[in-house]
Amino acid sequence: MDPAAEPPAPAPTSAAAATILDTLGEEVLAVMSPVSICMALVVLLISLLAPPTSSPSAPPPVTAATLVYLESPSDSAGQKLVGALLDAAVFVVLVALVTFALVALYYYRCTGCLKNYMRFSAFFVLFSMGGGIAVAALRRLDAPLDAPTALLLLFNASAVGVLSVFASAVPILVRQGYMVALAVIVAAWLSRLPEWTTWIMLVALALYDLVAVLAPRGPLRMLVELASSRDDELPALIYESRPTLGPAEMQPADSGRSAANLYARVGQQDDLGPAMVEMRDLGGRRSREMARPSGGSTFQIEGEMPTTATTHTSTQVVTPHQHAVIQIEQREEEETAPLVSAASANSSAPAQEQRQISSSEPPDDEFEMFESSRGIKLGLGDFVFYSVLVGRAAMYDLMTVYACYLAIIAGLGCTLILLSICRHALPALPISIMLGVVFYFLTRLLMEPFVVGASTNLVMF
Amino acid sequence: MTVAAGAGYALIALGPAFSLFAGVIARKPFLVLTLLSSTLFWLVSLIVLSGIWRGFLPLKSGAWWPYVILILTSVAFQEGVRLVFWRLYKKVEEMLDAFADRIAKPRLCLTDKMLISLAGGLGHGLAHAVFFCLSLLTPAFGQATFYVERCSRMPFFLVSAIISLGFLVIHTFSMIIAFNGYGERKKSDQIFVPVIHLIAAVMTLINLAPGGCLIGTPLLCVMAALTLQYSWRMVGQRLTEHEH
Repeated sequence: MDPAAEPPAPAPTSAAAATILDTLGEEVLAVMSPVSICMALVVLLISLLAPPTSSPSAPPPVTAATLVYLESPSDSAGQKLVGALLDAAVFVVLVALVTFALVALYYYRCTGCLKNYMRFSAFFVLFSMGGGIAVAALRRLDAPLDAPTALLLLFNASAVGVLSVFASAVPILVRQGYMVALAVIVAAWLSRLPEWTTWIMLVALALYDLVAVLAPRGPLRMLVELASSRDDELPALIYESRPTLGPAEMQPADSGRSAANLYARVGQQDDLGPAMVEMRDLGGRRSREMARPSGGSTFQIEGEMPTTATTHTSTQVVTPHQHAVIQIEQREEEETAPLVSAASANSSAPAQEQRQISSSEPPDDEFEMFESSRGIKLGLGDFVFYSVLVGRAAMYDLMTVYACYLAIIAGLGCTLILLSICRHALPALPISIMLGVVFYFLTRLLMEPFVVGASTNLVMF
Repeated sequence: MTVAAGAGYALIALGPAFSLFAGVIARKPFLVLTLLSSTLFWLVSLIVLSGIWRGFLPLKSGAWWPYVILILTSVAFQEGVRLVFWRLYKKVEEMLDAFADRIAKPRLCLTDKMLISLAGGLGHGLAHAVFFCLSLLTPAFGQATFYVERCSRMPFFLVSAIISLGFLVIHTFSMIIAFNGYGERKKSDQIFVPVIHLIAAVMTLINLAPGGCLIGTPLLCVMAALTLQYSWRMVGQRLTEHEH
């Protein structure tokens, strides 16, 4: 090769054209990161607050999950198994009853009742259960904090939490943070259940989730269909991820920036005149109201987009879960009056919106682009039960924690792949929980003697 | 082991992995997913291996030849898993290229493919470091530390951290070499990787002899440096070829 004869080639190392590798997989990662953070926090909390193994631990709390049988270390394996099965059956029945009650309430449009109960329960979780964990942590770390200050801080934090989860004009990071905090608190509390009960309850809940979301008369499926037929928000606590749009941009910075963009965009809309109002709803449908600048203040409702026929990833994994253990209904009811719900507008660039407003016609293809930037939604109950599994694995050993974490993430990935194929609400619990349980027992029984035996002899491969 | 010492050991084992992750992999979400899936692969291979070997455990501590068989079978199995990973990667590459054509974007270029193999290798190395080193480290916080009889000069955790670092480098860069070898059908690359893996694993057997870790561990670092140098040369060659 004669360098003098050939023209200098352009440097290929810095990609002149952005390849697909830059932005592929963003939405999936945007769901996996909060799940990982939640699990990490729960493991940290559990290892911080673990009671010393030498002293006899306090009897586990009497909850709905231990109504029938309370496990004690002296029982035989058969007794424990039967007792745990009974406990799990009772728990699943309770959860199913509560879900059916929720569906009934939603069907008869008792929105005020639902809303207030949800707000109360979120406040209760943050204030009472979160407060209990905070007190235990303070005691463990010997941190000095007087009671009035602690009470004030806790009350403020809980109030902000309730506002951020249920009100609309809150920065997305704060909302996501409080969702994760709620999940962490509930999971840390649920991990106090005895061991056999926890495992069997997890498996039972995974099976219940499968039935409830996929069976024709399953409560969760009815709820999803009701909500989508009314073009309404699902009455549940759901974590929403907002994927980034720009290539090679880091996620946290961009969601902060997109929040800033959100406010800037709202201001621009007011200035420009035609008020563009979006109501986001389930199933990828949107009804958009746009006031034409000419001819007064008539509002026109644009046609609804086809639900799940789009090729864009406007799909969701929805599994709202109620925890009969702590009598919390985790629901959310959107305000029925149309608002510029800044939280529900997506993170497209301002330029697109300006183009839309100035053209003053329904650009359906641009509307499709809005749809394509929607994130994946995951119910908060999934966060909780993944973290309970990992937390219970943490009580044995950290090797099981890593194995279960990988199993759960793999299960979540499989569920998301299935979601992109099926395009309707799927239960997120079954695959992950089954994989997690299998990996836990395989690791505990098979892998640990092998690896510990090899590495303590400093023989590694 | 104090928290400071524990954090130090963890950073020895995982520091380069963290910087690789933060600097290269975290920028592209697909690479993070590749890392997670390759970690899962390694974990599954380890579980299968331990399933096979479970009946023979615990090994008699005096004899060293069971460990030889252990090492041989483990390395052979893991190289086989690497081949399976390669086949899976080829399928994913086809799907990605088809997807890129569909949305009218450029196909995967050479650096993209190398980045994917880097992420895959880092996943293997990370899994090794986590399961062999970190999972023993974190429960040991508290008072006192642990020394192995045969290696009484250095704390056990320090030795295991250094070995994990060596293996992390070996796994990460041998994946790049291996993918290149399978892709280009270059025999030298294809042979280099299993041989290095085997030699490195056999070197840890030296640790079984009393005082052996003082010899075995530096030799392992030499192997890691060798892998690094070979990979550097190979990547440099490929990139300059690609430019012309």
